[in-house]
Amino acid sequence: MVTKSFLSQAPRLAVWLVSLFTPYEQSDSILGDLLEEFSDLASKSGMAFARRWYWRQSVRTVAHLIGSGFRGGPWQIAGVVVVGFLLCFFCGGRLEEAVIAVLNFGRHPHDNPYYTWSQAQARIRLIEYGDLVGHFLLSLFIGCIVALAVKGREMLAAITLAFVLWVPAMALFLVWSARHGPFLPLQLITPLSDSIMIVIGGGIVRKIRSAAASRTTSVSDYR
Amino acid sequence: MSNRDYLGEFEHIVVLALLCLGDRAYGVTVRQEIEARISREVSIGAIYATLDRLEAKGYVKSHLGDPTPERGGRSKRFFRVSAKGIAAVNRTHLALQSMTVGLDLVRSY
Repeated sequence: MVTKSFLSQAPRLAVWLVSLFTPYEQSDSILGDLLEEFSDLASKSGMAFARRWYWRQSVRTVAHLIGSGFRGGPWQIAGVVVVGFLLCFFCGGRLEEAVIAVLNFGRHPHDNPYYTWSQAQARIRLIEYGDLVGHFLLSLFIGCIVALAVKGREMLAAITLAFVLWVPAMALFLVWSARHGPFLPLQLITPLSDSIMIVIGGGIVRKIRSAAASRTTSVSDYR
Repeated sequence: MSNRDYLGEFEHIVVLALLCLGDRAYGVTVRQEIEARISREVSIGAIYATLDRLEAKGYVKSHLGDPTPERGGRSKRFFRVSAKGIAAVNRTHLALQSMTVGLDLVRSY
């Protein structure tokens, strides 16, 4: 009973982080080992110490799993990231056209949609927000595609692509800041949110696949 | 795989820990054994990455134990060194011994 209460106090975010990066077949063993040592440390040295230990171990474990994932198939990861980058590059430019096409759907090309200045402003805002939402959805979709292409290393591929997209944007931001002063330009928000959505897409695919893998394992155990 | 394959430094340490632990060798005990013997804190991820590599080479074999409540219902993965693994340890030891013949390591450093 004491052990169970300790287990429920393990840092959930750290448990979730490790579960995202562990190979399916090792997931139970690695998470079980971490929890066993955590409950042992919590009973001997206190909860705060055990939680610090758990975080330290989780971060180092994830770093090792990322490293071994890259070493396991560097060309596969590189290929998938290149495809993802090209998808972002070519599909991203079509977004505005697609958003405008959706907004103009069913409207006659010679109709004037604007009667007042505020109506025209509202329409511009709609296009801007539509473009932003389109960006989010497209990045989520690309994150899912990239993760689907590499089984077992979904998060690795998604994070690498997110990094590849984010680094040039960050470099541009630094150059821009050096010239115009340090404040966050709106242009940086889109690549940053694109990167986050790609990682979320990878995470979704990973969670679905690990759930399917654990279902398969439990069925085969039952048989 | 040729008979000239030697174990890397950490592979060597992990295989020796497995040999020390015998039937009790799984992630937690291997990590604690290494920490107790050489005062080196290693992550569970590093242990599993190494054990996976050793298993792929055929030096180590593993099997799953029963799920236990202190692990949140998750099962342990036990490891043992195969005959091929023992041969690799011996080969590595011999190579190290051969390389240190004639060196007065304690006095020199």
